[in-house]
Amino acid sequence: MSQFRLQGRGRVDASRPVTFTFDGKSYTGQKGDTVASALLSHGVHLMGRSFKYHRPRGPMTAGSEEPNALIGTRRGPGRFEPNTRATVQEIWDGLETTSQNKYPSIKFDLGAVNDFAYMAFSAGFYYKTFMWPRSFWDKVYEPFIRAAAGLGVAPAEVDPDTYASRYLHCDLLIVGAGPAGIAAAKEAAGKGIDVVLVDENSEMGGTLLSEPQAEIDGVPAWSWLEKELAALKAAGVKLMTRTTAIGYYHENMIGMVEKLTDHLPTLPQDTPRERMWRVRSKQVILAQGALEKPLVFHGNDRPGVMLSGSAQTYLNRYGVKVGNRPAVMTSHDSAWHTAFDLVDAGAMVQAIVDTRKEVPSALIEGAKARNIPIKLNHTITATSGRLRISSIRVNPTEGDQVGSGKWIKCDALLMSGGWTPSIHLFSHTKGKLAWDDDLTTFLPDQTPENCAIAGASRGLWGVKNALDDGAKRAAEIMSQLGQTVSAGEYAAEYTVQNDRSGSGVSMKELPTDRSASRAKAFVDYQNDVTAKDLRLAVREGMRSIEHVKRYTTNGMATDQGKMSNINGLNIASDALGKRQPEVGLTTFRPPYTPTTFGAFAGYHRGDHFEITRKTQIDSWAEQNGAAFEPVGQWRRAWYFPQEGEDMHAAVKRECAATRESVGIFDASTLGKIEVVGPDAVEFMNRVYTNPWTKLGVGKCRYGLLLGDDGYIRDDGVIARIEPERFHITTTTGGAARVLNMMEDYLQTEWPELNVWLTSTTEQYSTVALNGPNAAKVLAPLVEGIELSESAFPHMSCVNVTVAGLPARLWRVSFTGEIGFEINVAAPYGRQLWERLIEAGKPYNITPYGTETMHVLRAEKGYIIVGQDTDGTVTPYDCGMGWAIGKKKPDFVGKRGLDRPDLTAANRKQLVGLLTEDKTCLEEGAQIVFDPHHPIPMKMVGHVTSSYDEGTCGQPIALALVEGGHSKVGETVYIPMPDRTIAAKITSTIFIDPENNRLKI
Amino acid sequence: MSKHISSLMPAVLAKSPNMCVHIMPLIGRISLRIRQEIDKFDDALGIELPRQIGARSSKDDIEALCLGPDEWTLLMPIEKLSTVQNTLAGLYASLPHSMTEVTGREITFAIEGEQAETLLSIGCPRDIRTIKIGQARRTLFDGATVVIWCDAHNKYRMDVWNSFAPFVAQTLETGVGELAAELTQS
Repeated sequence: MSQFRLQGRGRVDASRPVTFTFDGKSYTGQKGDTVASALLSHGVHLMGRSFKYHRPRGPMTAGSEEPNALIGTRRGPGRFEPNTRATVQEIWDGLETTSQNKYPSIKFDLGAVNDFAYMAFSAGFYYKTFMWPRSFWDKVYEPFIRAAAGLGVAPAEVDPDTYASRYLHCDLLIVGAGPAGIAAAKEAAGKGIDVVLVDENSEMGGTLLSEPQAEIDGVPAWSWLEKELAALKAAGVKLMTRTTAIGYYHENMIGMVEKLTDHLPTLPQDTPRERMWRVRSKQVILAQGALEKPLVFHGNDRPGVMLSGSAQTYLNRYGVKVGNRPAVMTSHDSAWHTAFDLVDAGAMVQAIVDTRKEVPSALIEGAKARNIPIKLNHTITATSGRLRISSIRVNPTEGDQVGSGKWIKCDALLMSGGWTPSIHLFSHTKGKLAWDDDLTTFLPDQTPENCAIAGASRGLWGVKNALDDGAKRAAEIMSQLGQTVSAGEYAAEYTVQNDRSGSGVSMKELPTDRSASRAKAFVDYQNDVTAKDLRLAVREGMRSIEHVKRYTTNGMATDQGKMSNINGLNIASDALGKRQPEVGLTTFRPPYTPTTFGAFAGYHRGDHFEITRKTQIDSWAEQNGAAFEPVGQWRRAWYFPQEGEDMHAAVKRECAATRESVGIFDASTLGKIEVVGPDAVEFMNRVYTNPWTKLGVGKCRYGLLLGDDGYIRDDGVIARIEPERFHITTTTGGAARVLNMMEDYLQTEWPELNVWLTSTTEQYSTVALNGPNAAKVLAPLVEGIELSESAFPHMSCVNVTVAGLPARLWRVSFTGEIGFEINVAAPYGRQLWERLIEAGKPYNITPYGTETMHVLRAEKGYIIVGQDTDGTVTPYDCGMGWAIGKKKPDFVGKRGLDRPDLTAANRKQLVGLLTEDKTCLEEGAQIVFDPHHPIPMKMVGHVTSSYDEGTCGQPIALALVEGGHSKVGETVYIPMPDRTIAAKITSTIFIDPENNRLKI
Repeated sequence: MSKHISSLMPAVLAKSPNMCVHIMPLIGRISLRIRQEIDKFDDALGIELPRQIGARSSKDDIEALCLGPDEWTLLMPIEKLSTVQNTLAGLYASLPHSMTEVTGREITFAIEGEQAETLLSIGCPRDIRTIKIGQARRTLFDGATVVIWCDAHNKYRMDVWNSFAPFVAQTLETGVGELAAELTQS
């Protein structure tokens, strides 16, 4: 039995010992212990080193607000987590834990030299120290700051755990299962509404777990708790433990993280480590309680110094005495009860030191009955002990005067500076706060959300107050949820015996007889911010608490100032001589407590990182060794390397095979929209630049889509299937955007048009056949039309049967070769593909990917929207004035095109480039007219497409060049880091300008 | 991710002692858009088209779902497609509308079993319970647009465009495993 464990006390299970290690040493705790409570039961307080000064630290609290006891936890390879709060992590057999921020050991740490140099690390030292000399920045300061930054060691291995997420909808979500939360749930339970009660702890009960002495309606607190939780469960309330509400978002959306496996000795199969719940609740009750405030004095961070309420929790919930000879320092009644409980449990309390002149007589009597020395109207001015507190220096005060000090020996110091309502989630709602002068704290006021706040989180102390308030708030909400009973009749009232609602005063740093400028009186333990730093910040001109916070980093650690905010504000407002509400409070932001990236990512990791769309032919490409590239959400076959081929060789082979015989390409990803209705042609005329009225049924036309600014947005070939039915194709990435734009115009600008749009992108698998032998491969499979120049000329479409499948067959080309696109119902895509591969064998049919498609189209000067255009390119810039229906009264972008800037002669225009030395240009490379121009040279354009795998005998490029259309034949220059490349401006068409190759 | 899903290969996707997700076979689908005189379409098709968004109706082997103010989905056996298409084509001259066949566009997952509602809640932000038996909704599942049909308590169908199916299937498989594990632990 460990020295500080009290047999038969607490809620831990003595019959189930649990063994774990801390810094390699084995310790035994009991089932139900946290790492902190188990270590404390062995008298171990030293659990970490502080961030900046590397000062020895022990747990300050018993909960999630812990700033000091941050440890590393490990569960075999890959399962390491830094900065786990020892006060929250439950122990299990085999858990490995380590202290942080120490070298070589936690007891002797070289970094502690910072502590002696603390004068150099005052507020704003980042901004002052590292400014000069400038040359030190790269070699000295930045590496030093990087090495010192952050606490703990980031995990280096891939996380083998899985994470989950789920949506939850309910009528009432109650955050916090202390007395207020439970009373609220009890009020709402069993009345036909969905109630969810969550708590971040491993068990519900909140403060009741630490106050077994209370009796509620005549029943001891723990029995009451057991009974009520069972009743709630039976009434259908969803009870969730180990679940932290991390953020409160718009429209009552609450994010919650449930920890599922961190407390288990063995990991169950298929079980995620954590689950992110996205909860939408009609009403929310926040009952998160209050956090105890430390007192600010020199040496208030030594291991063994702890909040008194936490000591009470260790005693009553875990059966652990935090010391045998503790002393108490307080400005609030609650710490007196901790002292009483400890004496009753066998500890010898050395003194109760209270800053107040008067305290309730019941407390005095209680202390006297237990022979505890009382020191009212006293302050504490120092502590001693290297790795653990061994004594405190206590001084009497009289007004501003501090008398001489006297040392008192102790092995722990329990302090209380009063309580701060936990208003973090309320603050996330953009709720307004009101300063309460009596409680010296901010209390929740108005919120735009459907949210109530109950119990200690709105400044009501004591079990009865919390219970009554929880019930009352729930009753009010019930009526808002449509329950008929009025609030007054509804809410239960509780009788509570042995309740400990107390009061106290709120302090700034405690008065001292020593030099305040040398005091290490910590306000923010995690970021090592002292009272002196805050006062310095004010002296150096910071006025708003927001500036003080950023200058000193007070409240900026991972605990978000849960313990430091109000102390920091009290000190800053004192230094400024203003009331606290005039200085202000910093904003709380989600998450409430540190949250893993895994919880946010959920299922979206590895090959499920984001949506990957696949065609019905993708499986063939995968089986045939395709390399893939992402295009929008799609993954597309990029090229099909054969044995020993790199990308360059594969693409070169695919290009040549297509030009020489026949290539096959999966074009299913092209966006497709069916436009149907009596006004279909009118709609087409208004949306696309081209004229559509005279396009015959069974004919195709290239269409160009502009924004109303006149710039190219999308393009594609469009077929007239019936007089009042068009089949549009769009770019792969543009499909959704184009449909949205069309719907937008249709619904807001032209509601009079009788026409409908339907996305058919995924109705069809589309296979493109290109090459001089394309018709020969396809013809035997086609029933219903002869594939000849006369019967089925270029830019025709027809409904036929291909390989036994009903198909929309198009004669179109994006390569400059004879080309067909065969559209069949999507699921039959692979079947069609395989029939074509089979039929093409005599012609060495070659599957090609997007890269070859890019090369072949560039050789013909066909643009790719988004590559050769960038949202600032007009049809005229691309030499596509022919695509504009000049006689049409209007189309989207018509007026934009008339703007003077868009008709200027020196606009950047699309041209071809051929390099003089036959090198391949880099896409994106900048172009100049005069390479001898002094730097900075005038850039006149850039390379948009460049390939050397093609069939032109030399690399080709497309580029946007200022006034390019009038400069064909001239030379431009492309400066690169190692040399300048000269290139001649050409037409954009490098192959077959007469289109002879298109003819069958 | 080497998963591929085809409605030509209906199969069980994921199974646990009390859950089953399978890929349903190909079914005829038509997207029908009408602005007025819906009654005349009721008469011609022999089925009363539901008038409220999310509502469904069925007659013989045709199912109709109202997805928008002027939008319906019709499901029917493949063999019946041409009959329905011809009927609608016959109406076009006097009652202009848009009839587009989308048989190949979607893949349907059948999601059945005690935890079906929970399984949907891992990816669908909407309250699944608000899709009443005999209704359907266009919504999202794990980022993909889907239509969820509720046929009975804990018996759902989910339509998704075929290119999204492998991704969505992966989520469903993970979820079935997760829920099965949850049940054995509780």
